[in-house]
Amino acid sequence: MKQGFYGILPFAIGAAAYGFAFGILAAQTGYPWWGVALMSFSAHAGASQIVAVERFAVDGLVIGSALAGIALNLRYLGIIASLGGILKNVPLWQKLIAIHITGDESWALTMAKNARDPTIGAPFLMGSGLTLIVTWTVSTALGALLGQTMPDLASYGLGFAFTAAFIAMARAMWHGPQNMVPWVATFLITVLLVKLGVESAYAILLGSLAGVAVAALLRQRKTKKGEEMP
Amino acid sequence: MTFDHWLLIGVLALGTYSLRLAGLIGGQAILRNAKLKVLLDDLPGCLIVALVATSLADAAPLTWIAAAFALGIAIVTNNVVITMALGFAAMFAMRYFGVGG
Repeated sequence: MKQGFYGILPFAIGAAAYGFAFGILAAQTGYPWWGVALMSFSAHAGASQIVAVERFAVDGLVIGSALAGIALNLRYLGIIASLGGILKNVPLWQKLIAIHITGDESWALTMAKNARDPTIGAPFLMGSGLTLIVTWTVSTALGALLGQTMPDLASYGLGFAFTAAFIAMARAMWHGPQNMVPWVATFLITVLLVKLGVESAYAILLGSLAGVAVAALLRQRKTKKGEEMP
Repeated sequence: MTFDHWLLIGVLALGTYSLRLAGLIGGQAILRNAKLKVLLDDLPGCLIVALVATSLADAAPLTWIAAAFALGIAIVTNNVVITMALGFAAMFAMRYFGVGG
């Protein structure tokens, strides 16, 4: 567990910077510092929290905003599922805690270490996860504390900081040229839907599903081509 | 904090934990389902692009310029915090000095 605690520290520092920035933004949308801390500790969902709070600030719709955030966290179905082997011999109550405190960084680090040394498992995951959730909660709360004392940045385009964050997240999710067509399709369809007067929450959902469909079609065509090759 | 602020925290916390729990219970079945795997791979990226698109759809040219700048920063640094900070700084500077619409 100690190993996990120390091993994740460099990544936790990166998450803290990101958390601090999120805290400032969340405070400017009306959250007190303790509300931000509560959200960070109970949801523990980095980018999803940004998405949900940004949507909430723009639309004021609770369910739509939460759904957008939750949809972004769909990857955790796969992430947690992949921990099956590591959590196999752990008591249920520890499993229920482990799945909550696991973050992208602690998962990736544990999987990488476990692949090289199978004795590194659940205790490492728990140690690194605990460090992450504490760092995330504290850094977002500190950001919110600072954000509360700042002047109203909204008039200077604070909302754009969210857009910039999304652009950076997209960059991090870029897997290569295969993303180009689905992403361009998503972008154009979403813009078109908004221009046609569709509510932005629905435009996001429909636009991204259209992008997923385009990606699936392209993949299917590629597989067919591969099969036709002599 | 309003009721809606509380509700957002509650729904988000419940939703994200449910996903994690489903991953724990569904386990290997999820990993073996090719269609679900494709959805899990493709949806997050498309969702983020759609979020950017809704932010820009009705925005002034100034915001598009700032977005192009932020995209450049993101491509070079691949860092969320730096892109947020410089993107907002560019927007702030353009508004402060009265550039664009």
